Amino acid sequence: MVGGVFSRFKIPLLLAPALLVLGGLFAGGLYAALVQSLGYFPAIGMTEVSLDAYREVLGSRRFLDSLLLTFYVAGVSTVLATVLAVLAALALRRSPSRISSVIFQVPITVPHLVAAVGIALVVSQTGLGARLAASLGLIGEPAEFPALLYDRYSVGIILTYVWKEMPFVALVVLAGLRGVAGELEEVARTLGASAWQRFWYVVFPVISPGIVAASLIVFAFTFGAFEVPFLLGRSYPTILPVMAYDEYRSVELTDRPAAMAINVLITLVTALTAALYLRLSRRIGGRRGSS
Amino acid sequence: MSPPASARLELRDVSLRYGRGAEPALKGLSLTVEPGELVALLGPSGCGKTTALKIVAGLLAPTSGEVLVDGRSLLGVPPEKRGAAMVFQKPLLFPHMSVEANVGFGLRMRGASQAESSARAREALGRVRMEGHGDRRPDELSGGQQQRVSLARALVTEPSLLLLDEPLSALDANLRSALRDLVREVQEEGGYTTVFVTHDQEEAVVLADRIALVTGGALRMYDRPQAFYDRPRTREVAEFFGATNFIEGRSAGPDGPVETALGTFGLATPVPAGKVTLTIRPEAVRLGTQSEDGGNSFVARVSEATYLGTQISYRLQAGDTSLRAALPPHTRLAVGERTTVRLPAESLWPLGP
Repeated sequence: MVGGVFSRFKIPLLLAPALLVLGGLFAGGLYAALVQSLGYFPAIGMTEVSLDAYREVLGSRRFLDSLLLTFYVAGVSTVLATVLAVLAALALRRSPSRISSVIFQVPITVPHLVAAVGIALVVSQTGLGARLAASLGLIGEPAEFPALLYDRYSVGIILTYVWKEMPFVALVVLAGLRGVAGELEEVARTLGASAWQRFWYVVFPVISPGIVAASLIVFAFTFGAFEVPFLLGRSYPTILPVMAYDEYRSVELTDRPAAMAINVLITLVTALTAALYLRLSRRIGGRRGSS
Repeated sequence: MSPPASARLELRDVSLRYGRGAEPALKGLSLTVEPGELVALLGPSGCGKTTALKIVAGLLAPTSGEVLVDGRSLLGVPPEKRGAAMVFQKPLLFPHMSVEANVGFGLRMRGASQAESSARAREALGRVRMEGHGDRRPDELSGGQQQRVSLARALVTEPSLLLLDEPLSALDANLRSALRDLVREVQEEGGYTTVFVTHDQEEAVVLADRIALVTGGALRMYDRPQAFYDRPRTREVAEFFGATNFIEGRSAGPDGPVETALGTFGLATPVPAGKVTLTIRPEAVRLGTQSEDGGNSFVARVSEATYLGTQISYRLQAGDTSLRAALPPHTRLAVGERTTVRLPAESLWPLGP
């Protein structure tokens, strides 16, 4: 009897410590942010619940510029990383898995901060790229090298994200290509489909749910990530997490609700992306499970 | 698109080695499949039979040797141009297409109109008894239904070669025999030259016009199913087909008798002089009163009797030699009884080295 009870609760019991840490820190933090964003901050005497912070944030020019920039950076990084990843995976699908794992797994282990610094050292106007271009005579002076850091188009940030996230998408796509997509392609081949027909009618439709799922994860991450834009971004507009951080660091404690409102809005976009991802992966899982 | 006449397939000395230093997966396989014939490539797993099939399909390239269809080499021809449709062990239906779109796939890739491919897909679904399932998605079908659809998908292209890679092995026993009959039926109707890979000896015997037994990457025997029971080439072949009776002996010459520990036996087949192993099917062994007339007989003790319903299987012990005999259930011999055993000359078969 006791054994039966234990075995019924075994999985929840084993999961409890991890869930406690995850849930406690995440839900607690989210709760605090939500409460403060609603103007409830008794430490400085604010006890009236209102949507003022949201009104202020959503109405400000600075927030809109930030929001657009964040969508731009996350969107462009995701699209570039995904397209390059699919091409790389297609190129490497028949190579031994030793080679592809070295190529794709090494960048995954490098922290974003290190990647950002590395990219900065290569693409800054005093960096390796500029000096190389100058010594090759492509530009007169290293300083003539195009500004790719702290620039209008966030090239440095996007480059860092592409370098970091592309291998992740590529590994997901590669797993799909080496699995059932490869077998289905052989079937299509014996049925007379040319290389292009096999890709377009069989391989791509079969791997596309995986591609979309992986790119949604990349989008959610790049939308909410802080450190790379903080290091390599301009001071105006900043992307949303950096803006939230600036508000949070403000000497005026009354700016705190605005900072938290931005955080809640970031969480909302990320959560929507995650929900989309879950729906998609359930559809893929359901299909696989019943076949 | 007129359906191509069924083709004559010829493998000439085909070898394949996957890597340098690796044991070859195929060693000089030579085989001819006549137009409209169904040949079973039979062998244990890892014997190279699927490798051979993939070489015919073009999915693998042989290290050496030739693959010819109607006398023309296939080796430079990519798989998509060979007209060799393959059905795999798993149904491998395209998950994002309806059943009908799956079946019509090969036609659409060849540029057939939507209407034509759809009509011919429905016709092909009828041939595998899957009419009315065209609008379903593959994951709504059972495993057996999916495999029927994948057979229809191969047939609809009117392939000059039909290649089947253990298409029944993932199904349970009832479905397997039903689908086996269906395969034979559509194959005969369409007259497709067919190579059927299987590890199941019974499946090969029931389905095939001829069986090619492959072990260790080499062809051991290629003949009609009956011959594997009556005239197996070697002891290995005989054992693969369940033979248990082996008698070591020495032949005096082509017409001379064979001396064995059980006695001197005459054979209906010439045996070259020297050492030889004789075999006989359990059903051909005669016991007791059945064994009265003449030679090739000796006395043995019944060491085991197993009632099997339609027959009784006896184990007979004579010196160091043990033989099996299968007799009708009305013959009753007791364990421990001594009986005369006769091995009819026309049923004794000499195995090659």
